[in-house]
Amino acid sequence: MSPSPDLPLGPEERDMLAGEYVLGLIEGADLATFERRLEVDAELSGAVARWRSHFAAVDATAPAIPPSSELWRRIEAELAAVTPLAARPAAATATPVRPGAATGSRLSDWWNSLLVWRGAALAGAVATILLAVGLLGALDRARRQPVMVAVLLTETNIAAAVVNTFGDGRVELLPLQAIAVPEGKALEIWTLWDRAVGPRSVGLIERARSTPLRLDQLPLGANQLFEITLEPATGSPTGRPTGPIIAKGTTAQAL
Amino acid sequence: MATSATLPRQAIEIDAALRQCASGDKLALKRIYEAESARMLGVAQRLLKRRALAEEAVQDAFVLIWRHAARFDPERGSGLTWIYAILRNRALSILRDEKRTETSDTPIAEETASEEDDPETVMSKLSDAKALRACLEQLPEQRRSLVLLAFVQGLTHGELAERVKLPLGTVKSWIRRSLLALKECLG
Repeated sequence: MSPSPDLPLGPEERDMLAGEYVLGLIEGADLATFERRLEVDAELSGAVARWRSHFAAVDATAPAIPPSSELWRRIEAELAAVTPLAARPAAATATPVRPGAATGSRLSDWWNSLLVWRGAALAGAVATILLAVGLLGALDRARRQPVMVAVLLTETNIAAAVVNTFGDGRVELLPLQAIAVPEGKALEIWTLWDRAVGPRSVGLIERARSTPLRLDQLPLGANQLFEITLEPATGSPTGRPTGPIIAKGTTAQAL
Repeated sequence: MATSATLPRQAIEIDAALRQCASGDKLALKRIYEAESARMLGVAQRLLKRRALAEEAVQDAFVLIWRHAARFDPERGSGLTWIYAILRNRALSILRDEKRTETSDTPIAEETASEEDDPETVMSKLSDAKALRACLEQLPEQRRSLVLLAFVQGLTHGELAERVKLPLGTVKSWIRRSLLALKECLG
């Protein structure tokens, strides 16, 4: 629906897309494309602003519902925990991100440092060490049984990957199928344990390969949803899944 | 923000409060909260139907308003419109997440909307002073309903098609034509 961000939009197409966006009718990957375009296309953001100011009259018809007394306390508590904006990388402020979703930024820090390593003269040595660690890890894994397993199925019920969780807290994703990842895109892995909290990103891979998932302090239990979505190469711009779901499944106890 | 007479003064106050938020004044955020949180919760409730989710959207919106206050640009529209845009984006994103992950017996899309969220009730509450009302009135009722159901209840193209029992392509083109007519009418 959204044309390539590189092509200029005609004035009518621009106004129609802006209108659909304000109505909430642009979804998924189109939405991510549109929002990226919005950051750089002043005419488009002007069109969005005009629609928003007209439709503000509709929001004004909403009934006023007094929030529960704890809501402001919850906001204050979250503000106290939020990293000051100035301390965050500039890219993270481009689109409103889910507050408190520190997983994504930690992941990108890790990627950034990895990129630095790659550029360094020691890259070869590092690769050797990583290979050795990987082999040891594989041998070690072979001896251990996962505690819980989630089989992630595609829409057509094909098993695309499994998530294994181990007694020592490690969680890994093992792909079972090749997954087509278009240029500029990546696979992001999410987990959802409580709908009130929403899905959290636990990994980002540029192609289907086995990868440790970073659950850190996140809860992990039976019947917990894991899903893989297609996202921009740097991860979802919103901190929530935006692209199509590649596969999903819930954890179950291994026998 | 309900009447045009109070809007300009209030809008200026929100703009000023956002500037103060950008310089780290939490009392300014509290003032916005006191002035707008009840209406914001009403908007979120219309989209999300469930009170707990609506409160989550409002909570997230205030954290985002605080963190991004420095990015508010009065040249691009009023502060009031800006905070509702943040709220709507959060609420829609929660709504889409819910729909894609939910396993409950009563999917959120099937939860009954309050009669107050019905397109014609919303129309009747729209301020006469607003150009939007006159322009929406010029649309055939069914097309007007599609536009308002999308905006007020967050229905997708697919859900709209199901609601009015019309093919998806028809619904998409009706929305486009309605937007075109609104655009011409609003000038």
